[in-house]
Amino acid sequence: MDIELKEICDFISKVTPLDRLPQSTLEQLTQEIRIRYLRRGTTVSAETESSRLMIIRKGAISLSSKSGRLIGKAAEGDLLTLLMTEPDTKEHSGEVTEDMLVYSLDTNALKDIATEPDSNQTVLDMVIKHIRGGLSQNLIKANTNSSTGSALIYNEIETIYSSPAITIASGSSILEASIKMSEHDVSSIMVTDTNGAAIGILTDTDIRRDCVATGMSTDAIADSIMTHSVRSIKPSSNAFDALMLMTRKGIHHLPVVDNNQLLGMITSTDLIKFESKNTVYLSTSIARAKDIATLAQESKVIPQLQVQLTDMDASADHIGKAVSAVNGAITRRLIELAEEKLGPPPVPYSWVAAGSQARREQTSHTDQDNALIISNDLDPKDIDWYTQLGTFVCDGLAECGFIHCPGNIMAMNPEYRQTQATWDKYFENWIDTPDPQALLNASTFFDFRTIHGEDYLLDEIRDRMLERSQKNTLFLGLLAKNALGLRPPLGFFRGFVLIEDGEHKDTLDLKLNGTAPIVDLARIYALAEGIKTVNTRERILQAAGTNSLSEDGAADLLAAFEFIGEQKIQHQTRQIKRNEKADNFLPPKDIPQLEREYLKDAFKVIQTMQNSIKMKY
Amino acid sequence: MNILTRLLGYEKQRERLLKKAPEGPLKDYLSHPFPAMDCPIAQVPLLALDFETTGLNPKVDHILSAGYLTVDQDEIILGSSHHAIIDTDCALREENVIIHQITDDHKAQGQSLEQTISDLLAALSGKVMLVHFAHIERSFLNHACERLYGMAPIYPIIDTFMLAQRRMDMKSAGYDPSELRLSNLRETANLPRYSAHNALTDALATAELLFAEVSMMNHKTSPPLKNLIL
Repeated sequence: MDIELKEICDFISKVTPLDRLPQSTLEQLTQEIRIRYLRRGTTVSAETESSRLMIIRKGAISLSSKSGRLIGKAAEGDLLTLLMTEPDTKEHSGEVTEDMLVYSLDTNALKDIATEPDSNQTVLDMVIKHIRGGLSQNLIKANTNSSTGSALIYNEIETIYSSPAITIASGSSILEASIKMSEHDVSSIMVTDTNGAAIGILTDTDIRRDCVATGMSTDAIADSIMTHSVRSIKPSSNAFDALMLMTRKGIHHLPVVDNNQLLGMITSTDLIKFESKNTVYLSTSIARAKDIATLAQESKVIPQLQVQLTDMDASADHIGKAVSAVNGAITRRLIELAEEKLGPPPVPYSWVAAGSQARREQTSHTDQDNALIISNDLDPKDIDWYTQLGTFVCDGLAECGFIHCPGNIMAMNPEYRQTQATWDKYFENWIDTPDPQALLNASTFFDFRTIHGEDYLLDEIRDRMLERSQKNTLFLGLLAKNALGLRPPLGFFRGFVLIEDGEHKDTLDLKLNGTAPIVDLARIYALAEGIKTVNTRERILQAAGTNSLSEDGAADLLAAFEFIGEQKIQHQTRQIKRNEKADNFLPPKDIPQLEREYLKDAFKVIQTMQNSIKMKY
Repeated sequence: MNILTRLLGYEKQRERLLKKAPEGPLKDYLSHPFPAMDCPIAQVPLLALDFETTGLNPKVDHILSAGYLTVDQDEIILGSSHHAIIDTDCALREENVIIHQITDDHKAQGQSLEQTISDLLAALSGKVMLVHFAHIERSFLNHACERLYGMAPIYPIIDTFMLAQRRMDMKSAGYDPSELRLSNLRETANLPRYSAHNALTDALATAELLFAEVSMMNHKTSPPLKNLIL
């Protein structure tokens, strides 16, 4: 190819999905390009043109549906597919809003060019697949290079091993060795020669098996039962490799040695503890916290937990569950502390989480949403116990970083600290005589989960609630109408987010315009189908194949939910790493091209699902 | 436009010259009729052309390279791109090497002027020449034809420099002549920046600029060729 056309070739090499093509194919494509200029005000519609793919080099165009509704805008670097006969996009037309310079490619030519020299797939196939491509299909590809790995893979021994190494001089007795090991609370000790070099290792197991069990005197020298010629590992080694080495050799201790210098010891327990410096581990230290101050201290690790899990490539679902679990542990510990102070509860009760914590979709620190369900056996004069419980726990949570709910959905609010019968009444009212505004405020309560106390109190309410909700189409209709209040954006336009009325915003609200509409949809499916779970992912999975949601729709919706959730978490993790306050606002200019395409697809999925519930109710 | 062309029109002049032309590339070129003057510009086949030369005077300077591509049905056809480096016998002057990035090594791989002009005339047949600042291409091409074939042909030319000048003269405010440079005109027309400076890139740049200039004329339909011709 003429070097002079390289600039054009370079330009198309950055356009998704052409960016996946090798240089030779891009050069072939460049040869096929015809450059056109479209004046502002020009209308572009499929009927007038032969089938072609266009790439915008300069300028902009507004895209509308047949009914004249704005469905998107495209500018520099965007593909313009409305002149392609396949896949069918004939219902769309475009109006040039800024003079455009476009690179036009005849689809017949794309049919003759293979994506790679030996490939059966043509460029046209690839482009069509990209345009049509279900989100779930595209995302699987994007995720293959990110293994859902372990924390060990991302860390070196250096960050984990304990130092200094505990040693004992060659010739010391087993007893001396045992005493030193106990003193330092370690399970192994290095035996060193006069130069301080390690000549062997003595472990708990060696002492038990080769000394105590055989009746050997503990005065015998350690050298007699130690393992000679010790295998060691460098501090720069990968932690996961170290664990693998231990597993393979059936050993639990590895001295860390660099330049013949004994630096310390790494044990399989260290590695496993590091790996599970996760929820379980954290939950233990929370369960042991003796007061609110200690809990507040422990809760500070939540953002770090999120960062660590994100670095491990954990899914948004996994992270949401982990963070919610920690929050649950903190809440439970606070309730225990309250009960220690207040004495046993007069009658059974249930502390329930509402909203994102109930759904187990929390990220980092959010506000608290909770409520109390008290047994109907409550003697009104005992209500004070529950008042104090509510105040103690809610204030405690606030100290731990879960700010008081601005909407006052908290157990410290008497309205939401009620007997089971009253809660039943609440749900009866919300469902049977729904008021749109009241319903909007109450939607949090349809996502309810017991954190502490008697499960049956909530379970019974939920059973009765679902029985009502399934039958009440007026209620579901209003819920659907409320859900349509949050619409995803149309897409992106240059550095902006394009919203429904053609306005631009300079940030994308990943929650309000991304995950929240999906959460709302899933709630409607659950209430319509009598699904008990409140987790969005599980709701969608269980709704798949019912009257509310097709299998394919569910797959797309899940992919969209996971993808947007992932973007949200990655964005927040970047903020946490920069010591900024985590939020949901992502500037589009920070989104790489490929992610933009996927986000656009995800928005489209949400729109489709929203339109279908709009039709239904 | 010389006086005869003005009096006779392009077609008459072409037929007159055809009779005198020697057998070969020039005659072949002249045997193709020119596009009609009232044809809408969108339907006129054009050849966007640029020469890189060692200077401004065709009598002492040389063509170093020629780049051209076809514009047909309002589309620039990249597949028609052609770039020829000419093996002239003059040693390159240093400043030209810097501007045009053509070194002696490159040039040695080039082709003869005769081959280049012959290819160019074939590509130009039946088309209108499109250039930015026509003086260079016209005078060097004329000079080369006189040397090679003993006579210069005629060619209808669209000159984006002239179109821009005409447009800017109409505005009351004065302007800096540097605004008429190809790169500056492209920038104001919001066309992409091309970093390379060579004959083919400039030919492409000129073709794109023509689109923008025609757009700025604000005609409801595509204007006739005669409105744009030099």
